[in-house]
Amino acid sequence: MDKFKEILTNHISNWNMVWFGLIFWGSVINAIAIRYQYTDITIYCYFIGLCLGLSAKIRGTWLWKI
Amino acid sequence: MENLEKISEEFSFDREKEIARSFSKRFQWEMILIGVGQATVWLSLWPLVINGHISLLFGSLIATICACFAYLPSHEAQHGNYSRGNPKRRWIDSFVSHYTLITLMFPHDVMRATHMKHHAYTNNPEKDPDYDTASAKSLWEVIVATQAGISKYQAIAKIYENDKAFMKSFNKGLNIGMLYRVVLLTLVVLFPLETLLLWWLPSKFGIIYLSIFFSWYPHYQTESGRYKDTRFWSHWMPRYLNHSMQLHFIHHLHPGIGHYDEPKAIEALKPFLIARGVPGAEDIPDRVKHNPLIKA
Repeated sequence: MDKFKEILTNHISNWNMVWFGLIFWGSVINAIAIRYQYTDITIYCYFIGLCLGLSAKIRGTWLWKI
Repeated sequence: MENLEKISEEFSFDREKEIARSFSKRFQWEMILIGVGQATVWLSLWPLVINGHISLLFGSLIATICACFAYLPSHEAQHGNYSRGNPKRRWIDSFVSHYTLITLMFPHDVMRATHMKHHAYTNNPEKDPDYDTASAKSLWEVIVATQAGISKYQAIAKIYENDKAFMKSFNKGLNIGMLYRVVLLTLVVLFPLETLLLWWLPSKFGIIYLSIFFSWYPHYQTESGRYKDTRFWSHWMPRYLNHSMQLHFIHHLHPGIGHYDEPKAIEALKPFLIARGVPGAEDIPDRVKHNPLIKA
């Protein structure tokens, strides 16, 4: 159980931003697209979210470097 | 504890503590009302918005106001100012703090552990968890520093990794932080724009507000030391809108004083602060009113 917790914790601390980009920003961008009648671009919305997350992971920050 | 030996008996530290203690007894019911009240209002926004009773933008505005009111009730709990050392009342500290911090997505145990270190090492660049915002040179730097959110505390945990009590509390809080993340990511799939505008964005505004008024203004360009690490400052806002953080100085001297008793405490302790040469103490009005409070 401790090993599983350690693996999970390491994964989250390393990939937190990527998952957040994919799920959070992907869902938000998709909802905005649907609001503007673009109902068939869901996969692209989540792809943009994933790219935002990857970019944040590489840069180490979402917006400005501290 | 600098200058203690030079102060006359009339303004001794023991006498100062005695006066402070007289303001550290009252049950802080106002703060409980604010903490429980804002979190309940915030929770009620979800069904109201989802069922179309109020607009999402209006809900977002209310949620942002709730987020700005969310921290202080927890702050009182972090200092044990509801239980006042009574073990039977400790659940009030825990309940109020956990509940009110939902709006900000902050785990109580992480906040308590790091806040105690902030008091112990105020303005110490290596050890003060709030040093990043307190040392910012401009408002913009404060806003940029808040980007890190709760994740900045992971770096703090490395500094205190050998402090067992700190790490126990910190790790307990991390689990709550993880739970917040899971709930946020679940909600965003089900209610994307509601999650963005009722929770994520208001919490960000709340954290910026908190960093500016609770950390940056009170500690801006101050040094280390009991009577030096916090300052008096003035602002165009009536003090009720910035949570009376002009009085934060007295909180750092005596954290047990209840927030709503600070004005009276600072009036009573004014001669002690003048005797110790605290900058700006002469400008404390005899009666602390709404605004202007203290001239910088």
